[in-house]
Amino acid sequence: MSRLTTQALTLAYEDRTVVEDLDLAIPDGRVTVIVGPNACGKSTTLRALGRLLKPKSGAVLLDGSELAKLPTKRIAQQIGLLPQTPVAPEAITVADLVSRGRQPHQHWWQQWSDEDERAVTEAMARTDVTDLAERSVDELSGGQRQRVWIAMALAQETDLLLLDEPTTYLDISHQVEVLDLVRQLNHDKGRTVVVVLHDLNQAARYADHLVAMKSGRVVASGPPSEVVTADLVHEVFGLDCVVVPDPVTGSPLVVPGAPWKAA
Amino acid sequence: MSTLADSSAKGSRVRPAGYGVLRTGPAAFLVHRRAVGMGAALLVLLAAASVLYLCVGESFVSPGNVLKVLLGGTSPDELVVEELRLPRLVVALLVGLAFGVAGALVQTVARNPLASPDVIGISQGASALTVAAMTLGVTSYSVLPYLSVAGGILAAALVYLFAWRGGLHATRFVLIGIGFAIALRSVTTLFMTKGDYLVAQQAQIWMTGSLNGRGWPEAEVLGPLLLVLVPAIAWAARAQRNVSLDDDTATALGVRLGRVRLGLVGLGVVLASVATAAAGPVDFVALLAPQIARRMTRTAQIPLVSSALMGALIVVLADLLARRLFSPTELPVGVLTAAVGAPYLIWLIIRSRTVGGSS
Ligand SMILES: Nc1ncnc2c1ncn2[C@@H]1O[C@H](COP(=O)(O)OP(=O)(O)OP(=O)(O)O)[C@@H](O)[C@H]1O
Ligand SMILES: [Mg+2]
Repeated sequence: MSRLTTQALTLAYEDRTVVEDLDLAIPDGRVTVIVGPNACGKSTTLRALGRLLKPKSGAVLLDGSELAKLPTKRIAQQIGLLPQTPVAPEAITVADLVSRGRQPHQHWWQQWSDEDERAVTEAMARTDVTDLAERSVDELSGGQRQRVWIAMALAQETDLLLLDEPTTYLDISHQVEVLDLVRQLNHDKGRTVVVVLHDLNQAARYADHLVAMKSGRVVASGPPSEVVTADLVHEVFGLDCVVVPDPVTGSPLVVPGAPWKAA
Repeated sequence: MSTLADSSAKGSRVRPAGYGVLRTGPAAFLVHRRAVGMGAALLVLLAAASVLYLCVGESFVSPGNVLKVLLGGTSPDELVVEELRLPRLVVALLVGLAFGVAGALVQTVARNPLASPDVIGISQGASALTVAAMTLGVTSYSVLPYLSVAGGILAAALVYLFAWRGGLHATRFVLIGIGFAIALRSVTTLFMTKGDYLVAQQAQIWMTGSLNGRGWPEAEVLGPLLLVLVPAIAWAARAQRNVSLDDDTATALGVRLGRVRLGLVGLGVVLASVATAAAGPVDFVALLAPQIARRMTRTAQIPLVSSALMGALIVVLADLLARRLFSPTELPVGVLTAAVGAPYLIWLIIRSRTVGGSS
């Protein structure tokens, strides 16, 4: 089953069409990972799924209704989205930024509830930023900042969570931590998660459902074990490689061809 | 019953640092404690400055007598305080409040301190239409404020129109606004040179921003208007928080950015224009007040109440100096605010490598 689907979705910036005729179904309660080369339209697709971009034609459907016709606050209670490069207001503190994630659950006369406090506390603990609570976001490292933004998206507590490259800037252990967190959220709370990732091996490890895009089209989709093949990697990324089973998880592991060496 | 609960990370619970929660029945408001403290401090300063304003003049009235008059008692100074100084003080206060809020709102939406109503052409639009009307023989104060508001809105709409390219880019908005401000100033000058000599001189003084001769007629328009706008301003204080994030993040959080922005800017334009109608474009108050207030409260967004109070404080103090500095000659209050504001503007431009800053 899929609560979030697209129908013949075409996306464009002014007259330049970036994604064309896309039919996508995000499986409920699963982790979907989108991969593809730079500028193939991953972020654009994600933005449309989160109604940040209006379709040029076609539609994004949430529970069968067109996203463009739903009140934006109602959508925000269902779908959370973390953009690729969010910008924080100057001098905002970490706890303040994370608490902005509660916005869709608040009214102007109900600006803070126990529920808000619990969600924010939990999100910050899960992303390991509790100790940074009073620090200014400006003065954090790239990785710390990234985790704060993820905490904000988590605090929103939506059933569907869309994350655009949440692991950029992170060192390897924090990358693994964030991806484990995604799995955990999915497992413990049945959240549906869509993540854009660049690392194919991580994608193959963490995805239930993998979507490979190229030039605004879906080239292949399905379980990683079926999707990730040497042929596909060549077709999508133009890279020669060998695909072997991951020694730990058994998921496909992409090993690029031998590095260039002076003869 | 209301309680201001502790906001620090108590136990394992986290709250936005620096905020307290004010609960009354089912309602709960997040209040920035430092902003509340600063607001209170500014209020005290403002009261002190107001009393000083009423004491000082061609004749000195003791603070005791000023308070006596204000509280309705009789005193030989009643005429001086109540008839001459009080009305002008009230206008100064209202104009300052309006400019402070207007600056805070427009700066918030543009995410840029340079985008103040008095820098990007809104005050200039208000002036241009007002001066044009003056030189054409319209001098009634029952008409001029409306023309001023029309001029401000028109200028804002034009800037918005020219700056819009499928999105509102802060740098483009500010640059186009500055361009319009310059153009509108020349239009104003053109009307003044065309007009009758006396009218031109009157317009010239008004143009510099002067409170000389202002009183109850202006206050009677400004006061009720600000009062009517109080609920809107209360809404704006909350809405401001939502537009301080980048567009994508804010939209993802369910904020109707287009509407909220239009509402905030609209409110700011009306306030700036009405204040301009009353006292002329008292330059740089709308630029300075929100920035000083923000530095004092250290909030992530510009604090609305503190900006308003700071605006009032600046105008009252500046007008006090304007009256007394070279007495018996009076300076227009705008000259003094410009003396402080212009260097600050230049410093802002130098400091930001690109005019747009971070956005
Ligand atoms: N705001 C925009 N205005 C105009 N064109 C844009 C905009 N954002 C993206 N594009 C263009 O759309 C195309 C797809 O961009 P998109 O950001 O979706 O790529 P991506 O797959 O996320 O790439 P990356 O891996 O580098 O993040 C690119 O050619 C890009 O230049
Ligand atoms: Mg991208």
